[in-house]
Amino acid sequence: MMTIPKPRGGAGILTAAAAASIAALVLTGCGGPGTGAAGPTVEAGSGEGTINVWAVDGQAAENDALKKIISNFESSQSKIKVNLKLFPSDQYTKAVNSAAPGDLPDVLDFDGPTLASFVYNGKMAPLKGSVSEETLSNQTDSIKAQNTVDDSVYGVGMMNAGLGLWGNKKLLDAAGVAYPTTPDKAWTADEFTGVLDKLATVIPGGKPLDLSEQYGFAGEWGTCCSAGPVIWSGGGTMLKDNKASGALDSQANIKSLTKFASWKKYTDPNADGLAFTSGRVALSWVGHWTYPTYKALGEDLVSIPLPNFGKGTKTTSGTFAWGMGATTKNGAAAGKFLDFLMTDDSVGTYTDANGAPPATKTALAASGLYGPGKKLELLGEQLSRACGQEDKITDSCVSVTRPVTAGYPILTDQVGKAEAAIYAGKDAKEALSAAARAIDQNFADNDGYKK
Amino acid sequence: MTTQTQQLQAPAAPVRRPPKSGLTGHRFAGPLFASPALLGLAIFLVAPFVLAVVLSFYRVQLNSPRPARFVGFEQYTRLFTDPDLAAAFGQALLNNFTFALIVVPVQTLLALALAVLVNRQLRGMVVFRTFIFMPLVFPLALTAVIWRLIYSRGDQGLLNALLGLFSGGTITSHDWLGDPATALGAIIVMSIWQSVSFQMIIVLAALQSVPAELYEAASLDRASKWAQFINVTVPGIRNTLIFVALITTIFSFRLFDQVYLLSRSGSVDRNSTETVMTQIINTGFDNNNVGQAAAMTVIFMLIITVIAIIQRAAARQRGGIQ
Repeated sequence: MMTIPKPRGGAGILTAAAAASIAALVLTGCGGPGTGAAGPTVEAGSGEGTINVWAVDGQAAENDALKKIISNFESSQSKIKVNLKLFPSDQYTKAVNSAAPGDLPDVLDFDGPTLASFVYNGKMAPLKGSVSEETLSNQTDSIKAQNTVDDSVYGVGMMNAGLGLWGNKKLLDAAGVAYPTTPDKAWTADEFTGVLDKLATVIPGGKPLDLSEQYGFAGEWGTCCSAGPVIWSGGGTMLKDNKASGALDSQANIKSLTKFASWKKYTDPNADGLAFTSGRVALSWVGHWTYPTYKALGEDLVSIPLPNFGKGTKTTSGTFAWGMGATTKNGAAAGKFLDFLMTDDSVGTYTDANGAPPATKTALAASGLYGPGKKLELLGEQLSRACGQEDKITDSCVSVTRPVTAGYPILTDQVGKAEAAIYAGKDAKEALSAAARAIDQNFADNDGYKK
Repeated sequence: MTTQTQQLQAPAAPVRRPPKSGLTGHRFAGPLFASPALLGLAIFLVAPFVLAVVLSFYRVQLNSPRPARFVGFEQYTRLFTDPDLAAAFGQALLNNFTFALIVVPVQTLLALALAVLVNRQLRGMVVFRTFIFMPLVFPLALTAVIWRLIYSRGDQGLLNALLGLFSGGTITSHDWLGDPATALGAIIVMSIWQSVSFQMIIVLAALQSVPAELYEAASLDRASKWAQFINVTVPGIRNTLIFVALITTIFSFRLFDQVYLLSRSGSVDRNSTETVMTQIINTGFDNNNVGQAAAMTVIFMLIITVIAIIQRAAARQRGGIQ
């Protein structure tokens, strides 16, 4: 009986502790906006001293290339030192988002679609004034579209990314299939079905196509690189005037994605990732980054534009780029470092290491892989024909930038989920309408992610 | 016989209580000794739950400069009245219940069967035990890769290849994870394969503590093997079986990694396999909608509490837990 008052005392402590932690939470919840809304407070500084640089821990070759560029930078002048910090890729966005304004680095790496949210949270500073005009004007249009938020440029990129169909010439020839080599001659979706029918007869098992299912459609790959080009090529968009209803669930998108799903019966699931190199499939829908493994096919490897769903072939562009922390006290030195990163030498060193297409005009023209007349000329040409964001798509442009919005996390989740469901056999209208409603609800909850 | 009487009496013997006067001298001893555990409970269980309740009344977006906005019961009303959300949440709950309804009995019985099997004194039994226990030791992220290959669509899939071989090619290659009709079933099979050995080990330990004398006495009474199993083994490990069923139920409702690993990586209609756990993570950390996720957590917690209370009451009534 005597024990009764004691637990009560304990419960009192528990309540107090809980109350304290809630208070702490509410405080931080309210503290966030204050710091975020403060906006960039960049100081040009002396242009000397040490600058802090944050980057994503990428492939070993990329990291080595970056370190080499930094040491070149330090030996090219004596006033600025670089302190590089690498973060694991899955922790990077979290690290930037949770950094207090004073802890933000002078220069940071970011993934294209996360930029709008970083700007929205007051983590990034506009580059105008810190980075030279020459550097800014040498950026290709496709990377510029990704790095521009509300008409201000927040980033400069060394590399870009592009998609295409890799073809196995031996198998294509065996089926008597002639293939297009320029974006303007891309197969229409119906022609593509005919091509698959022909190829199915020469491939044992009758599955001549790889759509990179192993990456999973219900995620960024789906939105970026699979549903994205299909939607844009069909004349649709994901958002229109910041709303998904009426855009994502449009008749054009329903038609295009249903067509895409109809190719499932020709598609090798590629669970082992070896479908193309082992010759199990004749066509592989994937990005430039598979070139180092795919080039094992030698002369048989050909690049083909993605199918045209009505408004010309489209690919997604955009990838990691570099920007400036919102509170840097050494904007001049940070700008000089960014200028150095964008020189042809640095871009060459970096893109040679990872095989990506260069994102600066001069380096792209000089590229031994993506330049005119070179092996991956098609991907280079696609990138030079930039559309900008999805609302500016025309029949002749090819590279589209993913929607630049702070609401991108919900957008990519819902579009990927809808694509996977449609591909698994769900009614396209139902899946896309549900996704559109979820996106609009989240945008409404956040006042349209407007500043 | 003496050991047996002791065994039967032991639990029945009342615990000797210290005289009441003794407590007054150590008023603070109890709370003091309990405080480390209570503190742990407060920090890691009570506080997060209270926080979840509080957050569920707000509109909070992760990584957003916007202040949290108090919205009362909006997150809850949405969860039950918004047609999309209500359908998705209902589907996730249904998946959880389907999973539990199949996995709890099947896995408990399978664990019992396996435990009885490996409890035999045969040469090389250690090897068998090791093999059966292995899936539990391997990281799930690793085994999920193998299972994705097994369930893979088309004739590349190991399961399809096997079925094709036995059926002489009459069974067409099936998309086990991609077809909503078989997706949950595929996850159930993989999940049982992965975790049955854990339950088996617990049952095995209980089996080995059933006194040999009881079997001896039963065989003197000419009880068949089956009669011995029903009348000696099962009553002897009754408490353990109830415990195993309980934790399997809890595991089933916590179901997350199997679904996450198997269905996110393929091209799967996520609704067909989504569980409440994967949905909460998806809402809170992919969509950054923390308030909504918190409301889901609270509802889910209430449901689990009700199930746990019912299960405990049922087990008590049958004289299970003593």
